[in-house]
Amino acid sequence: MPGRIEIERISYRYPGETRFVLKDISLKLEPGRVVCLVGPSGCGKTTLLNIVANLLAPECGNVRFHDGSGEGRRIGYIFQFDALLPWRNVHGNIRLGLEIAGRKPDDTFDEKVITYLKSFNLDETILHQYPSQLSGGMRQRVAIIQSLMYQPNVLLLDEPFAALDFYTKLTLEREFWNLIKTENKAALLVTHDIDEAIAIGDRVLVMEANPGAIIADYEIRFDGGVGRDPAEVRGLPDFAHYFDQIWKTMGLRRNDRVLKDAVLA
Amino acid sequence: MPCWLRRTIGFTLYLAPLAVLLTAWQLATQGAPERQFIFSSPLQVGQTFYDLLLSGELLRHSAVTSFETFVGFVIGTSTGAVIGLSLWYYPSAARIARPYVVAIGAVPVFALAPVIIVWFGIGVFSKVMMAALSTVVVAVVQAYEGTMSVEKRFLRLMDVMGASRAQTFRKVIVPSALVWVVNSMKLNIGLALLGAFIGEFISAERGLGYLIVRASGLFDMATVFSAIIMLTVIALVLTRGVEWLERRVLGWRNNNGAG
Ligand SMILES: Nc1ncnc2c1ncn2[C@@H]1O[C@H](COP(=O)(O)OP(=O)(O)OP(=O)(O)O)[C@@H](O)[C@H]1O
Ligand SMILES: [Mg+2]
Repeated sequence: MPGRIEIERISYRYPGETRFVLKDISLKLEPGRVVCLVGPSGCGKTTLLNIVANLLAPECGNVRFHDGSGEGRRIGYIFQFDALLPWRNVHGNIRLGLEIAGRKPDDTFDEKVITYLKSFNLDETILHQYPSQLSGGMRQRVAIIQSLMYQPNVLLLDEPFAALDFYTKLTLEREFWNLIKTENKAALLVTHDIDEAIAIGDRVLVMEANPGAIIADYEIRFDGGVGRDPAEVRGLPDFAHYFDQIWKTMGLRRNDRVLKDAVLA
Repeated sequence: MPCWLRRTIGFTLYLAPLAVLLTAWQLATQGAPERQFIFSSPLQVGQTFYDLLLSGELLRHSAVTSFETFVGFVIGTSTGAVIGLSLWYYPSAARIARPYVVAIGAVPVFALAPVIIVWFGIGVFSKVMMAALSTVVVAVVQAYEGTMSVEKRFLRLMDVMGASRAQTFRKVIVPSALVWVVNSMKLNIGLALLGAFIGEFISAERGLGYLIVRASGLFDMATVFSAIIMLTVIALVLTRGVEWLERRVLGWRNNNGAG
């Protein structure tokens, strides 16, 4: 099966620290499925993504890639604030991954770019514009296209829509969701927004902090199936049901802590 | 108020301080030859400037100083920028270089001038070296600072994409540090001019520095002021040149966006 990723019992401490930031994290990513990760600030979400992206090496546990092609891991990593290079125009930025792989863009590359631009409702003229000329939503779309161009087997997204206004966010969620389904990519998306996690996640994992651990795992299913629209599911009764559950999980844990701390004090 | 009127008034206000200064200067020295001897006067300077221009003397000296400044500036700034950028590539070299750069930067070029003139003679070449030496440290420091202040997210992106150190250097470090390099150029125009000028001042047969030394020896203040005007003109022209370059290489910054 292409692009399946297994993260097995990962623990991590930052160098020189005794405290574990992540403890025994296990999860699976599968093609065409979005796994959303929610949790309080500082619980280690970004750290986890950095480990999967191979920017940090886990202290124990491992990240296994089961990619039929045997090409190893190719990661698309989208940050909360895009990292588009301001001195390159959009085309130059989209080309970056290809250049680094030492290849030249050809006709199929440009066709692919145009297909992606269409699926994100972007005009072709944008290719000649510079990042500073684009809105936040457009930049984030370009960043996603940039990472798609080097055919990643997994997409990591760190609060990708957090800095956007509500309407842009809904639009991008929908475009993103459709893309994952049509391109059959595995995606791990970090968000602090429970709504967003339920709307686009096939699974929602809830983390707690100190040490960062997964404390709950929800399989999200709406009757709509594949044709579901992340903007519309927000009105469904199931949605409110999931929201309640996740909210309680996060809230209960918090209250436990507060109680425990109070008793210990 | 019509647009042209507003612009004219704006321009007039712009010139007002200069006009006030010149008028005061003229009035204070008018009909007082002993004061004119020491302070000269705007009319006298104007007359001398015109004469020196016609005789070609002013332009000849200006050309020499411009040449020394420009060539020294280009040599010093480019060498410095290349060194500064390379220091990112070789962090251990950067560690070793740091105290030396600080030490060299602390030495006033004025102190080096006699040595330079002994080594490179009293001709144009020693002034080029003076200008180059005056600019190289600023160029090194600015370029290196530029490589150090590259945004972390760009570096992270390059890591994610599996870029080599050389690719990161070419595609992120250099273009990003270019802003700093251009800034160092702006600072260095004045320093290069000063370096060349000091060289001429100490020992030369040509150039505006030489002209000023000779004229002040003769208490010919009008010529001194004429040379100073030319120094300003040279600095302005070079600054314009750097601004042009800035628009060319940093054009991406000027496309009026949020970034
Ligand atoms: N470079 C570092 N060195 C030491 N500790 C770090 C470093 N980066 C993060 N940490 C610590 O690790 C913990 C997890 O950080 P991380 O950035 O992964 O959290 P997060 O869940 O992404 O938070 P947020 O939602 O605020 O982005 C935090 O307590 C943080 O202080
Ligand atoms: Mg984070």
